[in-house]
Amino acid sequence: MITNTKCECGHQNPVGTVLCESCGKPIEDDGSAATLEMRYDGVARRSQKQNPTWLDRIWNFFSSVKIAVWLIIITLLGAALGTIYPQETTFLNLDPAVYYKQTYGTLGDIYYRLGLSRTYSSWWFIALLFMIGTSLVICSLDRVLPLYRALSKQQLRKHHSFLLRQRVAFDGVVPEQQDEASWLGGMAQTLRKRGYRIHVGEDGGAMLAEKHRFSRWGPYINHIGLIIFLLGVLMRSIPGWSMDQYVGFVEGQPTRIPNTDYWLLNEKFSVDFYKQDEMTPEFGARDRIVPKLYATDAVLYRCTADCAGPQPKLSEVHRQRIEVNKPLDYKGLKAYQFDYRETPMILSLKPSLKNRQTGEVYGSFELSMTKPADTYRVGPYTLKVKGFYPDFGLDDKGLPMTKSNDPKAPAFIFQVTGPGLPAGGAPYLYFARQIDKAQFHEQEINGALGQQFDISVGSMQDVKIASYTSYLNIRVDTAMPYIWTGAAISMIGLIMGFYWQHRRIWLRIDGRRLAIGAHTNKNWYGLRADLAGALGKNGIAVAPKSLETRGNRA
Amino acid sequence: MKARNRTIQLVILAVIALIGLFTIVSNLSAGPAKYPQVGDKAPDFALAGLDGATHKLSELKGKTVILNFWGTYCEPCKREMPALQRQYDKWKAQGVEYVGSNIGENAITVRGFLDQYKLTLPVWLDQDQAVRKQYGVSEYPTTFFIAPDGRIAKKQVGEMNDAFIESALAELVKK
Repeated sequence: MITNTKCECGHQNPVGTVLCESCGKPIEDDGSAATLEMRYDGVARRSQKQNPTWLDRIWNFFSSVKIAVWLIIITLLGAALGTIYPQETTFLNLDPAVYYKQTYGTLGDIYYRLGLSRTYSSWWFIALLFMIGTSLVICSLDRVLPLYRALSKQQLRKHHSFLLRQRVAFDGVVPEQQDEASWLGGMAQTLRKRGYRIHVGEDGGAMLAEKHRFSRWGPYINHIGLIIFLLGVLMRSIPGWSMDQYVGFVEGQPTRIPNTDYWLLNEKFSVDFYKQDEMTPEFGARDRIVPKLYATDAVLYRCTADCAGPQPKLSEVHRQRIEVNKPLDYKGLKAYQFDYRETPMILSLKPSLKNRQTGEVYGSFELSMTKPADTYRVGPYTLKVKGFYPDFGLDDKGLPMTKSNDPKAPAFIFQVTGPGLPAGGAPYLYFARQIDKAQFHEQEINGALGQQFDISVGSMQDVKIASYTSYLNIRVDTAMPYIWTGAAISMIGLIMGFYWQHRRIWLRIDGRRLAIGAHTNKNWYGLRADLAGALGKNGIAVAPKSLETRGNRA
Repeated sequence: MKARNRTIQLVILAVIALIGLFTIVSNLSAGPAKYPQVGDKAPDFALAGLDGATHKLSELKGKTVILNFWGTYCEPCKREMPALQRQYDKWKAQGVEYVGSNIGENAITVRGFLDQYKLTLPVWLDQDQAVRKQYGVSEYPTTFFIAPDGRIAKKQVGEMNDAFIESALAELVKK
């Protein structure tokens, strides 16, 4: 079908145009006086083409607001389906194939088989969300470009049927004592004072006063913000861009943050409790221990070499005290204080080697419970570590073994060489804790060597103990700046659209006849007041209310 | 002008389609972590051995590998060690390798244990238990028999004896 889109003013309009791009006359003028539809200034949308190709058809599909609304409705219904029974992701460790049938019967089984137990990660749900995003982009592009073109080259002299079929319009004559040109000049002056930008036609008989055009771009800027926001959310699925895990850090022991090249050392954990006099009497009566403040003095290291090996090379990159709501922050890696537990364990000792008979002290050595060295030199003696049992015990054959990997009851076998000892050395079984020394009879089982030597710590100052394990929530969210930027742009767009209005007043003089039409997207009260005020100052007294046409002026 | 518009339109749609593909693919693969199962390719890893050098699983490609997760504090692991040692000695010449991935223990503890039980099996130290988590091992011992093509042929949770190891290896080496 070929429609004639040429206007009587001579302008050739694209298919789909409602109001002539040039003079504003309705393309299909049925002679009615009803208020004109001013949406997109009556220009054709980008997608309205005569012979659409397959590409245009895809474009047209997404550019339709009607389809966007349907997409949103379908997505809402789909999201609602996902709330009937709990989603699989809410459970940590169970077989969904069995669970749904057992708990919810046949309906539950059907629910599971339809895949509704994984609604929000299903391909169709994600595809729907994605189609909404696409529709957002294409709908915007499809409207913003023609609108921009229409607004940047507006024809000043509009058709009478355009002017008088506006919601706010005036049809009258130029006041008697004035000539047309000076009256128009006065009008321009008044409106300029009210913040309007004035465009006057070359022939002098037409004028356009326009204010706050930028507010028209608000919705599109809002959409750009939303698109950046969505892309930011999408970026979180790029490997390494998002992490959220809970890791325990024992005091004094650098621990690797899983899946990164960072090690974190909990140097010291401190906790402060509320004292009895700080609590209300009722609360104090409950006899509960309530922490007031807890904090981790943390050091962050980055591994530079041998990261997989037992002795990774670490270099300090950051040092910070972590308190609740004051996370460690290093290049986007954040560690939040989450929890703590009292886990007393020996980290290292500084025992001395003594002669049991003479009491002579040969020296002391630093013995780590997590990473003991291979050999220690103490005075004239060499202690080679032949065995290490972090949690010493005896198996059913009476042989030494370790019951776990935690240094709960550490025991070492030293091969001692030095003066007065056999060439190959002699073994010495050493217990770190005093209680184990007694229980396993350290002195007796070491025989002659046990009579000769004593390995023990002098005081508690020689014992390093980890009292606490601090639990930190390690988070990385590299996409966050993009998400914030998107949200901010979206907000700017919303403010532009909400708090300003695009007001336009068209004015045309033919002989002595004066025709005015005015349009805004909201706050018609303000527009009427602007126009009535300007007319009043220029010798035409009208009540603002009387300018409201409701389509009865033409 | 027309041709340029068309190109722009095509580019926008192509970018959208690409992003769409990425979204759907990344969301489908994001599901719960998948641990290697029988038939899957055994994921590669690098660990320091008791000998101090760093070893990679991929370096053993073309050989049959017994990947054994164990700890000295684990009673059944200790019990199956002599059988593993005997079978390793027997099959070694036919291209069978043993990798004892020790779960988070100290080199000295492990060395002391091997000396105590007179074992010469090559042990790698999984200090951070990263490999244990990678393979989804939660019960010890757990053993993966990896075929020369790098695929997991058999997974055994729990203690093994000579007969079990022998038959598992016989099947793989024959192929």
